[in-house]
Amino acid sequence: MSVQTEGTDTAGGPAVRKARVPAPRGETPAPGTPSRRGAAAPYLLLLPALLATVVFLGWPLVKNGMLSFQNLNPRQLIQHLTEWNGFDNYRDVLSEAEFWHVVERSVLFTAANVVLIMVLGTLTGLLLARLGKRMRLLLLVGLVLAWAMPPVAATTVYQWLFAQRFGVVNWTLDRLGWHSMADHNWLSSQFSTFAVVLLLLVWGSVPFVAINLYAATTTIPRELYEAASLDGAGAWKSFTSVTLPFLRPFLYATTFLEVIWIFKSFTQIFAINEGGPDRLTETLPIYAFVEGVGNQHFGVGAAISFLTILVLLVITAYYLRMALKQEEDEL
Amino acid sequence: MKRKLAAAIVIAGMMVSVSACGGDDGDDSGKNAGPDSFKGQTLTVWAMDGSTPDQWVKDVTAAFEKKTGAKLKFETQKWDGIQQKITTALSESNPPDVLEVGNTQTPAYAVTGGLADLSDLKSEIGADWTPSVSQSSVYDGKQYAAPWYFTSRVVIYNKKIWAKAGIKDIPKTRDEFFKDLETIGKKTDAEPLYLPGQNWYLFDGMIIGQGGDLVKKEGDKYVSNLGDAKVAKAMEVYKKFQSYSKAPKDKDEANPQQAEVFAKGKTGAFIGMGWEAGTAVTANKAIEKDLGYFPIPGETAAKPESVFLGGSNLAVAQGSKKQALAKEFLKIALSDQYEGELAKLNGVIPNKKALESNLKGNAVAEAIAPGAAVGGTTPLIPEWGAVENTPNPIKAYMTAVLNGKSPADAAKQVEAEINKRLAQEN
Repeated sequence: MSVQTEGTDTAGGPAVRKARVPAPRGETPAPGTPSRRGAAAPYLLLLPALLATVVFLGWPLVKNGMLSFQNLNPRQLIQHLTEWNGFDNYRDVLSEAEFWHVVERSVLFTAANVVLIMVLGTLTGLLLARLGKRMRLLLLVGLVLAWAMPPVAATTVYQWLFAQRFGVVNWTLDRLGWHSMADHNWLSSQFSTFAVVLLLLVWGSVPFVAINLYAATTTIPRELYEAASLDGAGAWKSFTSVTLPFLRPFLYATTFLEVIWIFKSFTQIFAINEGGPDRLTETLPIYAFVEGVGNQHFGVGAAISFLTILVLLVITAYYLRMALKQEEDEL
Repeated sequence: MKRKLAAAIVIAGMMVSVSACGGDDGDDSGKNAGPDSFKGQTLTVWAMDGSTPDQWVKDVTAAFEKKTGAKLKFETQKWDGIQQKITTALSESNPPDVLEVGNTQTPAYAVTGGLADLSDLKSEIGADWTPSVSQSSVYDGKQYAAPWYFTSRVVIYNKKIWAKAGIKDIPKTRDEFFKDLETIGKKTDAEPLYLPGQNWYLFDGMIIGQGGDLVKKEGDKYVSNLGDAKVAKAMEVYKKFQSYSKAPKDKDEANPQQAEVFAKGKTGAFIGMGWEAGTAVTANKAIEKDLGYFPIPGETAAKPESVFLGGSNLAVAQGSKKQALAKEFLKIALSDQYEGELAKLNGVIPNKKALESNLKGNAVAEAIAPGAAVGGTTPLIPEWGAVENTPNPIKAYMTAVLNGKSPADAAKQVEAEINKRLAQEN
């Protein structure tokens, strides 16, 4: 989860700074000769984080990269044999129709989730800004609790809710008079399994977006609204010309983070139905796990996980370009 | 520009956390020290859920500690996902010393080189191991595991519910069984049978009963035989059984544990292993007096339904540094005394014919015997293990047929996957 904070810093930070505090910018590059120690300090402070990243992310990544060029099955794993096989794993994966189905499915599933999360999250965030003190606190507590729920626990609860024979959802529907739902199997088709997973993911992600955007609205100076209403702007007009411009950088940043989180979500999808029925709800991370660890084809699994990163890079390319450009503008 | 680079690195880092495939390399450790004194050592044994009754563990541990002076530690494992777990364990520098390995999965492990060659143990204590049981552990002429026990599925029924439905005798043929289930459905409010859609070992037995097989040889390669008419016929039988149950068509017998559903006392019968009766009793003590067992009836009274002979072997990890101690354990656990005790306590069939006398008077074992006589296993080839990996394509086939697909179409749907797995190089 440390990843999140890093993300917010690079992605959301600069834009906010630009909007709010333009003053201190001039002083950073201005003083002519900063002492040597002063120059080293920021890097020293960065060191622990960098070290942790290298050890826990960089090294496994290098290993994973090496695995993806190996023929690694139980025999090789157990006997510690290293059999390099060049690009065979990548070639096999890329030439398989199944892989491209999974890519398509992952992208569509991510899109559906992120759109819902952003819309509902933004609305909830704006609601938070409008609520009175007590209700706001109540809603905030509810949101934080949902956000703090560990994914495995949340998934287990959802499994029970939607269980076929003894689930609360079916029981409720039956009680409300919809008797054909008494034994409904929510996990019997691709669409309905995805619907359950989607509900779970959206429910788990809305709090983050809502709280983030609520925080963003607090940075908007009140006077701007007064000025807008003096100019005769209605509610909608003042939203589009005052609120939205302030929220935009936050919206970009949270969308970007949500894309990453949803795209890589594993626990929820796997625990709900193991990518079933008939492997139809496997997204890329699940596919990598089933092919790699499940089928004990570890080299292939590593190759798929690398391709997963590539796909994610492509999806987020637009935002990445924007973020990098912003950095450039600042310099 | 530097900051741009830094930002790019951080972003890349975030993405990388997407891929969580790590492989760990332990140090190579092929040395098998020959310890003179076992004192102070601890032997770790991985046994599967339900295999080792408490009393047996206690007795074997006492005998083992007395003879060797070493400690014995049993660790219970779940069947779900066991192959990946064992593979990982065998690759580590400090694997469990002795492992219980399913008979159908043994050839796959034998090929990996992770199991120690036990041929000398076989010549020492295995002269009268039942050949058909011992066979699953032989690969390339070497004995990679010692046969431990085998068992098969029987019908476990609730006598109270059957009596309520007015049924006096246990059914002798499949049609009689169907008729009884119908009667229970009509005369009581119980679910006649609890049978989920993916009890694929039961299905395997039915295939054997039809004289079919899951794979066939094409040239020098094994390929799926699911499209065979005999398999389709077995699936029709399964479907008929399943129609008496409200159990989910896309779950297996462990999700939820069928014995625990049965233990609620609202189910006429289920088809399970003998030890599952114990699971039911643990869940609900009151059910114990109502338990009854009979062999799964076949087409005619003369021949009961064939069953999958699920068995377990005991293997020693090649990477274990306590080879000698592990063999000491095997000699004790597989001795007539403790092998017999296990048979008696668990109602499982022991690895020697001579020990089967221990099963006299055991209701479960007596129900198992007729079916076991006409039983069989999944194909005992190293390639088979991969087919059983989650998600098991045979389970997908079963669910598809139960949901209305024709057996031929359902077979087409999964055969590519099965063939891919059978063709996996090791």
